Amino acid sequence: MVKLLINGKSHTVDAEPDTPLLWVIREHLQLTGTKFGCGKAQCGACTVHLDGAAIRSCQMPVGQVGGKKVTTIEGLDPQGRHPLQVAWIAEQVPQCGYCQSGQLMSAAALLAKTPNPTDDEIVSAMSGNICRCATYLRIKRAIQRAARGV
Amino acid sequence: MTTELSRRHFIAATAAATAGLTLRFTVHGPMGPSPAEAASAFEPNTSLTITPDGLVTVHILKAEMGQGVGTALAQIVAEELEADWKDIRIDYPTSDPKYGLMLTGGSWSVNWTFETLSRAGAAARLALIDAAANQWKVPASECIASRSSVRHLPSGNSISYGAIVAKVPITKTFTEDDLKKVPLKKPAEYKVIGQWIQRLDIPEKTNGRAKFGIDNFVKGMAYAKVAYPPTREGGKHTAVDDSAAKKVKGYVKTVVMPDLVAVLGTSYEAAVKARDALKITWDLGPNAGVSSESIFKTFAARVADPDLKEWYKEGEVGTAPTVKTHTATYMTDYVAHMQLEPMNCVARYEGGVYDLYTGSQFQTRAVGVLAAVLKVEPTKVRIHQQYLGGGFGRRLDPDIILEAALIAREAGRPVKLIRSREEDLLRDFYRSAAVQVLKAGMDGSGKITTWENRLVATHPGTRWGPAFVDKQGLDQFALNGADHIYAIPNQSVRAAAVETGISVGYVRAVAPNYTFFAVETFMDELANLNKVDPVQFRLGLLGNAPRLANVLRMVADRAGWGKPLPPNTGLGVACVTAQEKKSPTWTASAIQAKVDPATGAVRVEKIICAVDCGIVVNPDGVRAQVEGSLLFGLSNALKERGTVAKGALVQTNFDTYQVLRMSDVPAVVEVLVVPSTEYPTGVGEPGATTIAPALSNAIFAATGARVRSVPLLPERVLEAIKQKA
Repeated sequence: MVKLLINGKSHTVDAEPDTPLLWVIREHLQLTGTKFGCGKAQCGACTVHLDGAAIRSCQMPVGQVGGKKVTTIEGLDPQGRHPLQVAWIAEQVPQCGYCQSGQLMSAAALLAKTPNPTDDEIVSAMSGNICRCATYLRIKRAIQRAARGV
Repeated sequence: MTTELSRRHFIAATAAATAGLTLRFTVHGPMGPSPAEAASAFEPNTSLTITPDGLVTVHILKAEMGQGVGTALAQIVAEELEADWKDIRIDYPTSDPKYGLMLTGGSWSVNWTFETLSRAGAAARLALIDAAANQWKVPASECIASRSSVRHLPSGNSISYGAIVAKVPITKTFTEDDLKKVPLKKPAEYKVIGQWIQRLDIPEKTNGRAKFGIDNFVKGMAYAKVAYPPTREGGKHTAVDDSAAKKVKGYVKTVVMPDLVAVLGTSYEAAVKARDALKITWDLGPNAGVSSESIFKTFAARVADPDLKEWYKEGEVGTAPTVKTHTATYMTDYVAHMQLEPMNCVARYEGGVYDLYTGSQFQTRAVGVLAAVLKVEPTKVRIHQQYLGGGFGRRLDPDIILEAALIAREAGRPVKLIRSREEDLLRDFYRSAAVQVLKAGMDGSGKITTWENRLVATHPGTRWGPAFVDKQGLDQFALNGADHIYAIPNQSVRAAAVETGISVGYVRAVAPNYTFFAVETFMDELANLNKVDPVQFRLGLLGNAPRLANVLRMVADRAGWGKPLPPNTGLGVACVTAQEKKSPTWTASAIQAKVDPATGAVRVEKIICAVDCGIVVNPDGVRAQVEGSLLFGLSNALKERGTVAKGALVQTNFDTYQVLRMSDVPAVVEVLVVPSTEYPTGVGEPGATTIAPALSNAIFAATGARVRSVPLLPERVLEAIKQKA
């Protein structure tokens, strides 16, 4: 049994400690907003926050999470109105949408640390997240929009 | 599935698929009266349902894989229905024969449905007006519909669509002939079409609620993992030892079928561990020695074959007088789909019915293939459509759905089957590698008199079955684009479809990626050979294609064509009739790129693309699709190289198969959309096909070196620079 604190809620899960946190979140707890894309930290679809830092949950054994706070896309904002989520709609970012939870979680971690990122800081923080639909232009614009607070 | 077995299945399946192909321009069933008359829903046809609460649900029969297709198709219906946009909802129905052909691809969605959906909406509006007029005992001609209500003009009486559905009998019916006669609006009258309307699927794609195939759970399901053979085609297990797998915690069951080995576990991770613990002896089959080298050697030999089949012809190349000729060979590598959601399916077999939860681009074919293999009536196979985490053509093939259904049947319980990225890439149906030899003949004045193109690749239609190839065994979707639109009097395109042991499929923008790479790069070569400006050279041959000439001029102007550029920097253009010459979106791109002559590295600084797709249904949707297709094309052109060894793709994940990331995106990507009242075409793919040739031409403009292989890797650019020097 593994204990986890996800989006402010405690969970006890029957999973082996070497199970990637991703599969516990997605399949055991059915918080399916977090996506599986590559299984080796290459695409960023599984990005969640661990004590506020963006991590790839496919590479985090659940047994190593301990008491750290896990935040998923479902917990980013209780109303789904995080400034980035608002900006994502305003800029009409998603196409297929599959990568966008990971994109939003990476962007949220960036803005939490760097409220007014430069272009280079955005590119550097976001280049670990693949969007095969290539919505990169709009992702960048949405991050800039959220940073401007509009 | 062995090749032989799957081919037999697909042949059996094509009856269903081809029957559907004829349905694409018809409305799905004539309009009948509402089945129950009061407080029920009004379902005038399979395109929409109006409920007593006034909501209009437009049933989207196209897969939503990022195009925003649901919003665009709903706009078309809402326009003629005179529905208030706030009343519009959309859903994605479960497969059913009543929907006719369920196929999403080819940039066809709006092009194939614009008229039928317009008529469906218009006929529903006329039925609602008729019902209200009967109720008021006034002539229908005195009534108008607007914002989800019918109003009687002389009296000012008004009734909402919802109230009509709830209280008034709707009796007007339409035959198919009636439907064809329903008058439609002129573009100048549009109120919803052409409006900058936000996409309906976007909010739930920002909060984790959007449900993709992989997000499904059914009661009692186990997780399945398949043990795939190491070779792409022809591998087969000869012995399976699951004694170690049985000891894995969470192991449920081993399933061994003639062409499939799978293990079930109580969780995904348990199924992975158990599958990895299997000891399987493989017969690698006849393709174990296949490699990129052997494939290109085969292709190179075939391209010189005098017996290549003629696929396209104008005039007579053999008899035209030529003073000089130019020949060039173009090579393109395998490309993988790499849709971000790995292939997956949840399958349940209960009471003789298969319920499949997944995202499909071709439900008609999936149902046909499954019905044939599972030996059940097509009505017993139901595809419950989900959002697609990327399609790009990958989800045209039903392989994962069939595997999940077979395992669920054999295991006697529902299963969730998810491929890892490595498995997804190993089992992909790649865009074929291709070799093309182009030869042009010119008269004394430099005018092109003959054009020959010899094209060798593997054709997806060969695998799909006879309905998907022509009488010569050629798949038009593996060749189109080679039949370019330039006014050249004598042309011949000859082709061979060659099997290699590496399975191919349809990857976004399909053949025009490689055909237009060859055509548009060759045009540049001919222009330079004749010392004519490449834009002027093309314009000189586009007298019969004024809309294409227009977009080419637009990008040239916008990109500053002809103005001096910094050292090692060049501008290249390409213009295309993708996706098909018969229903083209007239598309041109100009690319500005800087080449590092020491390393061959290419930095794309600017992409300007102009499209003329006829009527624009959703302006931002068109822009988004063009932006995405341009960058998809850039990813293909700069980075993506699938290579083969030992009968399988060498690359295994995003670390070895690189795709475009934010750091690779040019500073300027500009999309120009031509306002138009012409019948609409599609925009999901054409932009992609302009990138490789425009970039190759930009590299030539920057360096004088011609790169004829895609992807345009630094080592290839460097090699071309060395050859020039």
